[in-house]
Amino acid sequence: MDLSRRRFLQLSGLSALGAVVFNGCDIPEVELQVQSALDIPEDTVAGGELWYATLVSQGGAPEGVIVRVMEGRAKKVEGNPDYPMNRGKHSARSEAALQMLYHPDRIDSPSHRGTVAAWSESIQAIGVAAANGKTLVITDPLRGQLGKVMSRFVSAVGADHAQFEPVSRVVLKNSLNQAFGQERIPHFDIKNAKCVLSIGADWLGTWVSPVSHSVEYGEFRNGGHNGDERGYLIHAESRFSTTSASADRWIPIKPGTEGLLALGIAHVIVEKGLALGDVNKAFVGGAASLVGFTPRAVADGTGLSEYLGNDPDRAVHMIEDAAVKFATSSPAIALGGDSAGAHTNGAFNLAAAYALNQLVGSVGVSGGVQFNPSVPLDVPQSAVGDSLEKWKQIIADMNSGTYSAVIIRGVDPVYGLPDYLGFKEALQKVGQVIVFTSVPNDTSKEAAWVLPEQTQLEMWGDDVPDPAPGYQAMGLQQPVVRPFKDARSFGDVILEVASKTGLAGDWAADMQSVIKSAAREIHSLNRGSVTAASFDDFWVGILQRGGWWDTGATGSDGTQGGTPLDVSAYSTPDYLGGGEFHLIPFRSVALWEGQNADLPWLQAAPDPTSSAVWQTWVEISRNDAGRLDISEGDVLELINNENNQRIEVIAYPMPAIPDGSLGVPMGQGHSSGSGRYAQDRGANVLNVLSDLQEKSTNAHAWAGTKVTLRKTGKKTRMVKLEGEAATDQLEEWPVVLVTNH
Amino acid sequence: MSSTGKIVIPIVIALALSVIVLGAAFIGRAWFTLPFPILGLGEPPVQPIAFPHSSHVDVGGVDCVFCHRNVTSGQAATVPSVEQCMFCHKVIGQQAQQLDGISGDSGLLAVIGWDSKTLQATQPINWERVHRLPDHVQFNHEAHITYFTDPAYATSDRPAFDQPSQVCSTCHGDVATMPAVKQVRDLKMQDCVDCHRDNGAPTDCTTCHH
Repeated sequence: MDLSRRRFLQLSGLSALGAVVFNGCDIPEVELQVQSALDIPEDTVAGGELWYATLVSQGGAPEGVIVRVMEGRAKKVEGNPDYPMNRGKHSARSEAALQMLYHPDRIDSPSHRGTVAAWSESIQAIGVAAANGKTLVITDPLRGQLGKVMSRFVSAVGADHAQFEPVSRVVLKNSLNQAFGQERIPHFDIKNAKCVLSIGADWLGTWVSPVSHSVEYGEFRNGGHNGDERGYLIHAESRFSTTSASADRWIPIKPGTEGLLALGIAHVIVEKGLALGDVNKAFVGGAASLVGFTPRAVADGTGLSEYLGNDPDRAVHMIEDAAVKFATSSPAIALGGDSAGAHTNGAFNLAAAYALNQLVGSVGVSGGVQFNPSVPLDVPQSAVGDSLEKWKQIIADMNSGTYSAVIIRGVDPVYGLPDYLGFKEALQKVGQVIVFTSVPNDTSKEAAWVLPEQTQLEMWGDDVPDPAPGYQAMGLQQPVVRPFKDARSFGDVILEVASKTGLAGDWAADMQSVIKSAAREIHSLNRGSVTAASFDDFWVGILQRGGWWDTGATGSDGTQGGTPLDVSAYSTPDYLGGGEFHLIPFRSVALWEGQNADLPWLQAAPDPTSSAVWQTWVEISRNDAGRLDISEGDVLELINNENNQRIEVIAYPMPAIPDGSLGVPMGQGHSSGSGRYAQDRGANVLNVLSDLQEKSTNAHAWAGTKVTLRKTGKKTRMVKLEGEAATDQLEEWPVVLVTNH
Repeated sequence: MSSTGKIVIPIVIALALSVIVLGAAFIGRAWFTLPFPILGLGEPPVQPIAFPHSSHVDVGGVDCVFCHRNVTSGQAATVPSVEQCMFCHKVIGQQAQQLDGISGDSGLLAVIGWDSKTLQATQPINWERVHRLPDHVQFNHEAHITYFTDPAYATSDRPAFDQPSQVCSTCHGDVATMPAVKQVRDLKMQDCVDCHRDNGAPTDCTTCHH
């Protein structure tokens, strides 16, 4: 055989290729093995799965979930079909609780100024800090047993307690109290409503309890208890949110004019004699007070005429049409929130929206606004973050040396408070800063003590849902796996500090004991979803179900009533920032207000409107983009001219945001050292906001900023699932269609 | 070709044809059923511990379900944890070592890294898998055992199985008498379908491929 050099090389290559191919087809060795694990508890079978019911809160209302556990490892989170709020559904945020459990940046053990410390030292340090000088405890808004433990603790040591939310709901609470005389958020019986009129609140995306709202929304669209009649959704908002996209009628209005729109709708309802409720219960002065809010005046005042191509007749028709539809589709619900309340006149805006329920007789009826009774336990059942004014005072107190120690848990105020307030600098002046967290964040970097907190799947807890489902309900959180790290639950540590420092009163050994004790009180009621002769059986029952609820225990605590809205108090919103564009920050469906930025599943979860991931972008109208020669991917600088704060964001021209408005998602912009997935990514829109407060609550008016836009000359590629082609422009399949009716 | 008209096949071609035919027969047999028992094929795999089912089941009287605890309640039969082995071998192994030559010599203690001070194992056992179905086949042990032990399964010419462990041998053979477990049925799709058909079970594709 004549074997040339070339032939030899060909055969060698072929042989090598064959070897690679056949090796690639082989079954991996691990597939051919089956392992006998070392040690498995008696009730845990290798390969067998166990499902535990618990609660997960990754932004928004806590969701009842069931977690699949195999061989001591949590594998999957699903919605708990029994839990009355989310009824078997769950969000991507809850799904990602698993990633926090297995997060590679989880803090292994307590540390003091970077040196590993023992828990005993840490607990002693907390005790010493609490005993000597004034301590400030900063937490997320706490309800249920942990709220009660914290309340007792700060009272016993004479500390101050501040509750932090980057986007506080204090305005919402205030307006609900005004409209209904209720501290707790009512149950909106969306399922049985025939029409929902929402003003500002992106209730299908990120407002209050979006998963439970979405469950009800599905039923609402399928007729609920109204047979086959499909519910009708009207939504007014300055931005094209998830709820805007779902609505039958989206009414785009200028930021801060939501109250004006509500009054215009009320005017039409009264004028046409469609009010089913008592006008005097809704508005001081009754029908006469609404005379000036004609559809034409409201169309001009809200900017609707301008948005509809300077066509006031069309705008008037849209307002009248919405009002008639809302008033004649009884029962109907009006609700308001989010950006509508985040202006200097925010409380009025929301109160005006909720007053519409009185006008159409939807208060306390099926398909309307239903009040939530309290659970018969002595625990906080409602909590919101403190106002901007209070945070300014806290920062001033820290700067003046009022506090010798600050304990922070469950929140990241260095990230969540605008930089110009100087919280970070004030924190550096406090002698002892103690931070509980599972993974590093912007605040923990400033702490002397960093204490690893257990994740939600590792610890005991409970929740009194706010809003509740219209009846008494309590959710239970139980550990579904053993703690992976040398971490402890915040409640357990506080209880241990209280016991070891000899604080007055009886202190339970741990949170499990506290919750069990509360469960005994519920057991003694002998009613509701779980009843049992013995407490042990009851305890097992409520753990299996994920909580306790009593569908028969409905109605309010007898405090409803509310106060009619004084229409004369209406004022136009103030804007600060000195720019051309209204800046509308919005909560990210995945990253929320930044809490979930360290979870890659959620970083990669596409935004419902733009399908963008991993970045911070700015929604800008195509008209504005064309006028300023901006195209997708241009890096833009948003500048607040008054405080000179600025952020860089990526341009995303879109057809569905009104001209003159810019939508920017919250969640990104964490500094270096805040965890590998969160750090140095995107921009924190909260930093560019103006120092503007809502008039009656002093809450941050975070939607009242106007910014200047500047092209940086840089360009990048926007990471999104949506293709390069603008699909909404295809004539065959228009995604957004502007109509005249 | 010779003058007598006989066809003469060159020896090289004859050999090549023979190899091809034998190869085809070998592959064909392995494709449709178990491979020819040559070159070590069909023999039990070498396990990290010479675990004799015969000693445990036939002699010791241990029921299948005692160790394969998930077989009546889940998809996988599952192998026991090391700890479960040591339920018995903390005692039996010690005796066996003294009695020379029985299970203590199987290397169990060495393989699991037994610490005689803490009485804890430190290493898992990586068994070689004997029975393996392709990934696109969903086989549920619990469903099969429930079906065969259901009194409704019994007809005039076939009784229902009394115990779950009696069902095991339907597919796995008489494991109780095997010093080392090996595959006795080919467990190919035809085998599954035939059995389903014979026993009145569904033969729809999605029964197994879902």
